[in-house]
Amino acid sequence: MQKVTLTVNGREVTAEIDERTLLLEFVRDTAGLTGTHNGCMEARCGCCAIEVDGDVVKSCNVLAVQVNGAEVTTIEGLSPQKLGPVQQVTTQTLAGVYEPLDAIRSSVEDLHPLQAAFHRCHALQCGFCTPGMVMVLKDYLEENPAPCRDDVRKAIAGNLCRCTGYQHIVDAAMEAAEVMRGAGATTTDD
Amino acid sequence: MKPFTWLAPDTTAGAVAMLREHAPDARAIAGGQSLLLALKDRSARPTHLVSLSGIDELTGVRTADDGSLVVGAATTYAVLARASLAGWHGVLAEVAGDLADRPVRNRGTIGGALCTADPRYDMPAFAIGVGAGLRVSGASGDRAVAAEDFAEGAGVTALGPDEILTAVVLPPLAAWDTVAFEKFRHRVFDAAIVSVTCALRQGPDGTVAETRLAVGGATPVPVTAPVAAALLAEGASAAEVGTRAADEVLPGGTTGGEAVRYRHELIRSLVRRAVDRALSDVRTV
Repeated sequence: MQKVTLTVNGREVTAEIDERTLLLEFVRDTAGLTGTHNGCMEARCGCCAIEVDGDVVKSCNVLAVQVNGAEVTTIEGLSPQKLGPVQQVTTQTLAGVYEPLDAIRSSVEDLHPLQAAFHRCHALQCGFCTPGMVMVLKDYLEENPAPCRDDVRKAIAGNLCRCTGYQHIVDAAMEAAEVMRGAGATTTDD
Repeated sequence: MKPFTWLAPDTTAGAVAMLREHAPDARAIAGGQSLLLALKDRSARPTHLVSLSGIDELTGVRTADDGSLVVGAATTYAVLARASLAGWHGVLAEVAGDLADRPVRNRGTIGGALCTADPRYDMPAFAIGVGAGLRVSGASGDRAVAAEDFAEGAGVTALGPDEILTAVVLPPLAAWDTVAFEKFRHRVFDAAIVSVTCALRQGPDGTVAETRLAVGGATPVPVTAPVAAALLAEGASAAEVGTRAADEVLPGGTTGGEAVRYRHELIRSLVRRAVDRALSDVRTV
């Protein structure tokens, strides 16, 4: 057993863990943040991508002990979390009969530009790959603020999406890049 | 994953001592991008993992007094890709920035690629292609190994159980005028099926004085193609050099099985491309 301390989205989490614990497992099971998804456990799909000390990594292919003491940012850390504790699961919530943004008691302005762009461009269908896509694109766009569509496709080469055909994801990345550059006016439709 | 003990030394000497103490079932781990996959499917079952990521002397890129480029073995691809390197040393940054995918490049290290000795990886082929030297530290002292003598088989290296690869040393800029690296893969994040490195130096009269061709992916360890490289110095065309290199690396490749014929053809095309690019580089310089 090994004592590991990580700062996850600004919150310090310390736990006595098995050396074999993957960073992914630490984030999901120990820190309790399930926004980071466990897709393939083979560093192929990219659904588990999170930032460690500012660099995006595939958390299923990193041991928690390897990054002891690091600052970790997960998808939950990108925008202020206003999600209250889930009171009860109703058929309505299961059927998704609610406005997603209402559910997190938040507004478009609170979202990270990438999250807002994903929402606006409908860059997800089932949403399983989305946390990884957003984290990788955030890391990429912060380093390359003005990419072309081909650059974006290369940047998310390690992220698999089986629903969208990537078209809308690239749209969203281009739109977010513009917002993050501060060049274009933030379109506040709907 | 089988249980293991985690050890995190902060000096190379400390790491070597730990490897020696727990030999032969201790393994060094840098980024872990290949080793963790092996741990998960239990094809690697170390009892102790010695982490190299806390050892400062193993990371970073610096130019030595003689002009050679000393790359710490635990330097990540991402750091290499961002490094501003002069002349053909810059090809190292290009190669590092165009393999696997972004999150993997943030963890994966150049030394990790060499020690994994996967025949498809770019770094071993590139190191052999430019005639790099490797520095190894062990319980019985330090030694230098040429990159081409390091990999002894797929996944097997010349590294002893209590030895650590500490640095990859690229020769000084004067060694080559240009280096061209070409590879083929189906998807951007796949390992290369075949990669080719062509290093070239001109003589004072503008003719090709020295060339080096290395082919990775086609054989269990990357190999050089000296006969084809010599042909280039004699003034043969890129296409002729390509055909010769393919026959040299995979003899009888045109009559082999499908996978062999495919690689034979890839070597032919990629060598031609690499040679073409290298030649046009030196002519425009």
